[in-house]
Parts: sequence; C-alpha cells; structure tokens
Amino acid sequence: MSLYYSFTKWTVTPPTPRTWTGIGNYTDAFTNIFFRRAAVTSIVMTVTAVVLSVLLGTLIALLLDRKFFGQGFVRTLILTPFLIMPVVAGLVWKNQMFSAAFGVLNWVLNQVGIESIEFATKYPRWAIVGVLVWQWTPFMMLIILAGLQGQSSSVLEAAKVDGASPRATFFQITLPHLRPYIELGVLLGSIYLIQVFDHIFVMTGGGPQSTNIPLFVYQRSIGGGWRFGSASAFSIVVVVATIILATFGLRVLSGLLEGEEA
Amino acid sequence: MAEVRFEAASRIYPGSETPAVDELNLDIADGELLVLVGPSGSGKSTALRMLAGLEFIDKGSVYINDKDVTLSPPQDRDIAMVFQNYALYPQMTVASNMGFALKQAGVPKDERRKRVEEAARILDLEPYLDRKPKNLSGGQRQRVAMGRAIVRSPQVFLMDEPLSNLDAKLRVQTRTELADLQARLGVTTVYVTHDQVEAMTMGHRVAVLDHGKLQQVARPRDLYSKPMNRFVAGFIGSPAMNIIDVERHDGVLQLAGQPVPVEMSTADALASTDGSSFGLGVRPEHLALIGDGGSGIAGEVTVVEELGSEAFVHVATEHQGERLTLVVRDEGETSTQRGDNVQVGFNGPTHIFGPDGERVGS
Repeated sequence: MSLYYSFTKWTVTPPTPRTWTGIGNYTDAFTNIFFRRAAVTSIVMTVTAVVLSVLLGTLIALLLDRKFFGQGFVRTLILTPFLIMPVVAGLVWKNQMFSAAFGVLNWVLNQVGIESIEFATKYPRWAIVGVLVWQWTPFMMLIILAGLQGQSSSVLEAAKVDGASPRATFFQITLPHLRPYIELGVLLGSIYLIQVFDHIFVMTGGGPQSTNIPLFVYQRSIGGGWRFGSASAFSIVVVVATIILATFGLRVLSGLLEGEEA
Repeated sequence: MAEVRFEAASRIYPGSETPAVDELNLDIADGELLVLVGPSGSGKSTALRMLAGLEFIDKGSVYINDKDVTLSPPQDRDIAMVFQNYALYPQMTVASNMGFALKQAGVPKDERRKRVEEAARILDLEPYLDRKPKNLSGGQRQRVAMGRAIVRSPQVFLMDEPLSNLDAKLRVQTRTELADLQARLGVTTVYVTHDQVEAMTMGHRVAVLDHGKLQQVARPRDLYSKPMNRFVAGFIGSPAMNIIDVERHDGVLQLAGQPVPVEMSTADALASTDGSSFGLGVRPEHLALIGDGGSGIAGEVTVVEELGSEAFVHVATEHQGERLTLVVRDEGETSTQRGDNVQVGFNGPTHIFGPDGERVGS
C-alpha cells in the first residue's frame, strides 16, 4: 500500500484527488534539503551512538568479566537502562538530568561554579546521542560479555606463557575473538537506532539538529504535513536502506555461527 | 638446558582447607622427561601450573636452573606449555600460532619465519602453515601445540595431558613420537597424565601423586616392582594389582587359609612390626592357576577376559569370611571357563604393606 502511495501525490488537507507521479517522490527525496538534512542527522546519530556504546560496552564488559563481590547485582544494575522504555528514558533525561532548572547535571555543574546549560536546547543532537548511548551501552556490554565468557581461559594462559603483555593479549587475541560479537552488536544497534523516534519526539520534538528520518516522515504525514505520497516514498527509502543493512548483518551472524564450529 | 626443583612447594586454593599440592619436593634433572601421574584431584596439574607460573605458590619454592622463580610471572621463566585442549589462538594461522611467542619477544620477522618453518618440518606441518586451527584434525592441532612449544627452544617443556583429546590409536602413535622428539631435543620436560600406561611408557622417571602428596618417584620399572605404598601399588599396573587385607596367624600372613610366601628380610621386618592386619599385594601375573591335586586357594571362575596374548581370569573365593575376587593371569589360549572350580597359587613376588599402608617388603 505504502509502495503504491509512494508513487502518487496525495495531500489530505485540503483534500485533493490522488494523482500518479511515478518516481517523482523519490527524486524529490534526494533533492529535498530537509530530507537530506534528516538523513545526515540519522546517520550521524546512529554512527556516533553505536560507536560510543560499543566502546563503552566493551570497557564495562571487560571490567565485569572478573569475579567480585556483588557481581550479579552490579550486572543487573548496569543492564537496567536497556530495559527502560524509550519514551520514559527521553523524559527522564530531559526533565531530571538535562533541564537547566531541575537537572542533576546542571546541579553538578553549578556546584563546581559553572552556569547551567540547557543541554537539550543548545546541543539537541548530542543530548539525544547521550541518551541513546546510555540506553544501548548495556546491550553492547551484554553481547560482548557473552563473547568474553566464551573465550577459553587456557588460550589466555597460553598467551601468558608465550610472554604476551596484557595489552598484546587484548589486541592480538581477545579483540579478534570478540570481532564477530562486536559486529553483531553494531549491526543490531544500527538497525534499531536508525529508526529512533521516541527520544527525539519527547526531548526536542525535532529541529534542524535533531530531526532524523523517522521524525521527518512523521512530520510530513500525520505530524502536520499530511503529504502521504512523499512521506511514503521517504519511509520506503529508509526501509530499503535497512534491508541492505540487515542482509549484510545476516551474513555476519552466519559467520559467527561458523566460527563456533571450531 | 635446565634442572627443575620443587622445594616443599604447596598450593592451597582460597576457601579450601586442604592443600591441592602439599609440600612437594622433587628434583628433575637436565634433559629428563619426568611424568606426574595420579587420579583426578591428585594435584598433578596444579603442580605443573605452579611450575608454569599460572598458579600461585603459597608455601615453599620452585627453582629453574637454581634460580628461584617462585614469584616470577610465566613469561620470565623461559618455559613452553602444551595444554590439554591445545589452546591454539583460533583467529591465527598455524604459522602465526607458532610464531606468536617469538613475535612477543621481538624476534625479527625473517628469523621468526625461519624458525617456524624449521619446527614445521620436524612436525610435518609444512603444508598447513597457512591454515586456521579449526581446519585441522585433532592430531594436527596437537602437533601445532607442540610446534608452538619447540619453536621457542625453551628451558623446560610443560605438558598437561597433551594426548588425552586424541583417539586411542593416534594416542599410542603420538606417544612414541613425542618421547622420541623429547629425546632428540634433549629439553627437560614435565609431563602430566592420568594414564598410567602413558606414564610408564614415556617417563624416564614417574612421580605418583595422590591428594596433593607425592607418593613415590622412581623409574617405571622400580615403580612397578617396588611400590612404596598401597596407593602406588594399586595405581600402577593394568589390570591392577590384587590388594587384600590379610591377617597374621601364628606369625604367618594368610590368604584364604593359605600362607603367603615372603622373603626372609620381609619376615624379619614383619616380626618387628606390631599389629595383625596387613596389606597383601600380588600382581595378576604373579598368581597362577594350578591343576587339580595342587594345594592352592580354591575358588570358582566368574569372568574370563581373553585378550589374545594373555587372559585374565577372575576367581571368586572366600577370605576371612567374605567373598573375594582374585585376578589371575593365564595364557592366551586358556581352556578355563566361567564356572570352573580352580586352585590359585603364588607364582612370583608378593608385596606386603604395613597397617599404615607403607611398604614392608616383598
């Protein structure tokens, strides 16, 4: 249905008859400055959020991959952000962390003598990326921790006997072992984060810095634009892009399963 | 070339009262292949890992070439280890696996390549240098693990059950190759196994451990013919030695009513030992089935195990009011059958152990 609409010009307010436009909406997608801006925002947000959460997730996984008192409790605590609904996460960060009047972050800044910053307004894109990283780090941590625990301890001991420093062991043995796990995390994270909507909707409601494609499609259609034809075309572009990503990802997954046979 | 010395070395795992390795004293000569053998939980692997530096030494010390390495990390001990599961680096090729330690030591690439190829030639691994471990068979992986150790020309080889993941036939073949390789390279080797056949066939000397304590260390032949206590007697030899609690009547040990033959010196030693309960050990080949009319221990055959070259006959008899099964070696083409009534006689040395389980004599 969407596919059909994407080849038409269809505006609901004021009601006008639906007319066939062929690939007009698609060429429009690539020339429309707003769509392009939204695409850049989508890519920048996704890439930075994924990269940062993988880095942080790896770091935390390495820390958690050792025995200590209260291990299970700490792991559960660290996992919680991932379990929180996106809308709730967005609201909590907007009102309780970032807010200039009531935010915890600004309170901390004030304590050290720095004036309040309205994060979500001044740096909308990075504020949202921050929340996404906060939510997705636990997920990455979980996948990478699973990878770490799947590593045979005697391989690490062999490296020790072979005279490898902890640094060399990490970069030459542990990291290559983690590669498929990291790839999986990056893939799943990307697929999900490219579709992020809730956080942006509740935190900034969109804007030049923070409107990504899903939000833009929303604005074009039921969010006030009511131009379903071009909105359909935009969303189809995103779906195609996501499918390409997912196909790529399935290959990674099968590679991971192959590795297990060793 | 190196000598290895354990001096009252102990390892007590956190949370455990009893030491996993209890005051181990052991001298290993330069170029020697010493086998540590024992059942699961005997501490043999722990002892090896203490020497490797992978296990903390709680008490005592370990020396390599008179240098105290008790607190040295593994990389400072100049040792190479072969692990039970080989512990190959899965993402690296065979060549990189073998050259890894050299790379860490900063050996230039050309020389690394040369030494890896040399080791690969010794181990017939040349066609596989560019493969990943997962594309190798079990035996090839085992050889890569060996190659990784010999490339480094270390002071000491440590081997932790390196053959236990191979199938039976390959294990026997690799066992011989390994012993031959060790003799050619002349590198001091400590070899851990739970398989007493492996221990006996490979070791220049064999150290038997049980519950973290060293029971006996001796040449395989001596271990077999002169076990120092009941544990060693029962552990070494296949099928196992018959070990029976016997009592002394009128100064003579008796098995199922029959006197047990002992040497003169043993009889003297027995005379000066208190207690009436002793352990009698006798290997299946030192018992024999004797024809009718002989005066032996009467019993009934319950099982006949025919192995071709020999047969083991299980004879049920009564000893001190309880049922007792003796294993007797018989010739390969035995005519003995289950249900036969037979007589068992002594046909070789016996081993007598005191009430404390220590050897009295034979």
